[in-house]
Amino acid sequence: MGEKYSDLQKLKNETLNCTMCGFCKNVCPVFLDVGWDTGSPRGRMTMAYGLITGELEPDDDLVNRIFQCTQCRDCWRRCPGKTKCPDVVLAARRELVRRGKAAASQMTVMQNIRNTGNIFADLDVEFPIQEGDAPLFIGCQHLSRTNSTKKNIRLLQSLGVSPRIVREVCCGFPLEVMGFEEEREKQVEKLKKAFPVNDNTILTFCPGCKVHLEKIFGREVRHVLQEINDRLAPDKIAKPVNAKITYHDPCDLSRGAKITKEPREILKKIGCEIIEMKHVKESSRCCGGGGGILTWDAAMSDRLGLARMEEAIATGAEMLVTACPTCEQSLKKAARAAADKSGAKPMPVYHIMDLLFRAVR
Amino acid sequence: MELAEKRAGADSINAIRAIVGDERIRTAKADLYVYGFDAGMHCNIPDAVVRPRTAEEISQILKLANERNFAVVPRGAGTALCGHAIPIAGGVVLDLQGMNRIKEINPGDLLCVAEPGVVCDDLNAALKKYRFFIPGPASSEAATIGGMAATNASGDKALKYGAMRDYVLGMQAVMPTGEIVRFGTRTLKNASGYQMEKLFIGMEGTLGIITEITLKMAPLPEKTAACIAAFKELVEAGQTVSDIIAAPIFPAQLEIMSDICVKAVNKATGLGLPECGGFLLIACDGHPEQVKDEIRKVKEICEKNKAFFLDFTEDPKRIEELWKGRKQMLASLSVLKPEFSTIMLADDMAVPISKVPDAVKGFLEIQDKYDIYIPPYGHAGDGNLHTKVLLDTENPDHWHQAEKAVREIYDLVLKLGGTVTGEHGVAISKAEYFFIERADSIPFMRAIKRALDPNNILNPYKIFDWDKSFLHNLRYPVQLAGKEKAN
Repeated sequence: MGEKYSDLQKLKNETLNCTMCGFCKNVCPVFLDVGWDTGSPRGRMTMAYGLITGELEPDDDLVNRIFQCTQCRDCWRRCPGKTKCPDVVLAARRELVRRGKAAASQMTVMQNIRNTGNIFADLDVEFPIQEGDAPLFIGCQHLSRTNSTKKNIRLLQSLGVSPRIVREVCCGFPLEVMGFEEEREKQVEKLKKAFPVNDNTILTFCPGCKVHLEKIFGREVRHVLQEINDRLAPDKIAKPVNAKITYHDPCDLSRGAKITKEPREILKKIGCEIIEMKHVKESSRCCGGGGGILTWDAAMSDRLGLARMEEAIATGAEMLVTACPTCEQSLKKAARAAADKSGAKPMPVYHIMDLLFRAVR
Repeated sequence: MELAEKRAGADSINAIRAIVGDERIRTAKADLYVYGFDAGMHCNIPDAVVRPRTAEEISQILKLANERNFAVVPRGAGTALCGHAIPIAGGVVLDLQGMNRIKEINPGDLLCVAEPGVVCDDLNAALKKYRFFIPGPASSEAATIGGMAATNASGDKALKYGAMRDYVLGMQAVMPTGEIVRFGTRTLKNASGYQMEKLFIGMEGTLGIITEITLKMAPLPEKTAACIAAFKELVEAGQTVSDIIAAPIFPAQLEIMSDICVKAVNKATGLGLPECGGFLLIACDGHPEQVKDEIRKVKEICEKNKAFFLDFTEDPKRIEELWKGRKQMLASLSVLKPEFSTIMLADDMAVPISKVPDAVKGFLEIQDKYDIYIPPYGHAGDGNLHTKVLLDTENPDHWHQAEKAVREIYDLVLKLGGTVTGEHGVAISKAEYFFIERADSIPFMRAIKRALDPNNILNPYKIFDWDKSFLHNLRYPVQLAGKEKAN
């Protein structure tokens, strides 16, 4: 037996119960990109097993494969035995981070959060602080877009939501997916102090934050699209969008939070015709921005984004709409890459809130 | 046969690197470890993993292997269940997943041509546009057609549509000594000498490496309808199977499940099948009138055999759900008892169809005798039954109990005139009982192997050359006396 991997040991049965059927392979964006079984969920389960038994050491190749996972969780969706492959990967990451295997770029993100409370190390975040009923968690990504965040808040208010906004700090989700467990725990404590909750429904703009805040507070946190869909009556639509669009389901919103119906209903209400991609809803594919891949392997992130964008372009839609700021960024970059490759104009990419703001009076 | 390692040394690996380039060879420990496993219960670590792109590259590698005496093990998606892709003597694993081009779909000639790394479901997605398909195994969303040909794979449609051997018209292959050859034809009929392409079906990567396959296609049926039937006793379900075939009715699919399997599928998929002692899933396809008539007759036979629950659907979504549930049976069993693992033991025996009731009754008696979970299920319509053993993989007693139970299962199957493997193959895990079943033909099989692969470099020590128990080289962390891993 090699070194003791306490977090992984707890998931040993998961690795043993993986029947190696391989159904996870052809849904994994990383495997589809690299082609080697080592880049597949089944391969990661095997490597985790090797760490547990001491038959493998955490060398650079193994570490790279473990950190390449985008945490899209499509392997878990497809796994007939519901083996917790993504959780095994996270446990392996925690073990590897403890052994000093985090990349410098990921250390930077961790330090940014620790030192400044947000992933960008922005010391001058403009918090739109206001009193209100519903605690609204904006999230680092949205906070970095001051204008659009202000518009998003006005949109919520126009639909009768009274958001309470405080000087929040990062929820710690990026720390969890990168394996910084100790820092995540400290950040969660900071968050609880900075973002006190009441009995009212907690709202958030960000799919990743939603999933993580629910884990922290142990209760439902509503994504704003759920709230908006409930409140968006036809008489609120002043300027319908009237466009053929395709919608990219963010992994954390679709597989994580099971929210696939609401964004589509909203898009239809504001006059969009949706042309679906091949992989949608619970089987959506990663945009190339998930699970820390942006900081771990930027080139792979670009390739995954491009693959997703090419799927969007194949629909013939006029534009791509999504509901996650990270997906939006990744796919905008991918749209430019696809345009460079084909010589066509980049496909426009929008956050659904931007379209909503234009459509709602 | 003594298991002499056939390792690839640094010089050999460098020579392969010169053939395929740095990007398509891996020697990192993590890669070697992962490619030491497949979907079966064994493992052993290779010296290198290579992803060739052409028959010429494979030819050069095999010539090198003969010169330097290292083993070469071809591998598709690694979904085989009996240890086919395990590099048991070390050497080089050839990962063929990158050779995945569909080269031709020719409805006029009723054939398609593809490379071995094409995934079965991907091929069928392409064929669907022309209203054709090839029948695949339960693992069709992952399994590659090269692996399917090399193992004579089949699945739940074998009764009506046959196995891989019925679809392979021809192939390009690289012989163990490096010659690139074409076997078979592009014609549906062929009496042109030895049917070498058929010899390669089920050769389990021991006689050559398939680099291109020409497959016959089956027309997609116009209509499909499904019937589900629940019985108090498993034997009643088994008798129903036999009666349906004797009627005679040839359903497209005719699946049997025991009570444990129904529970597992319900738990894993939420399908809500009725809890029962025995369950049948029956699909009829073809012209709408024929389907209607067959389903009516099937229902009558189910009623005659005391089915207490009968349901019928023509809804393609519901039919897809039902078969998806069945297809993921293997993994579903692992959710039934999370502390146990589902082990590939006695996993795909076949008996004459009329013996299905005797076989399932016998399996349940063996299960009770050894007090372990051995849930029977399978493609009962073609006499192909599955059992999987659920056990604590770290408990030696469980393994020894399982070993005894498996022996009794195979004894029963052979007594009933069956075979130890209907669709998964022999490789490592069936070899011990395959020796009993095929005692008189093994010398001739071995003679063919020796003639084609004189240096025994291609997937060595498999089928008739594995003379140990299946408990050797287990991938699980259990110490069984005298049966540790080879390395």
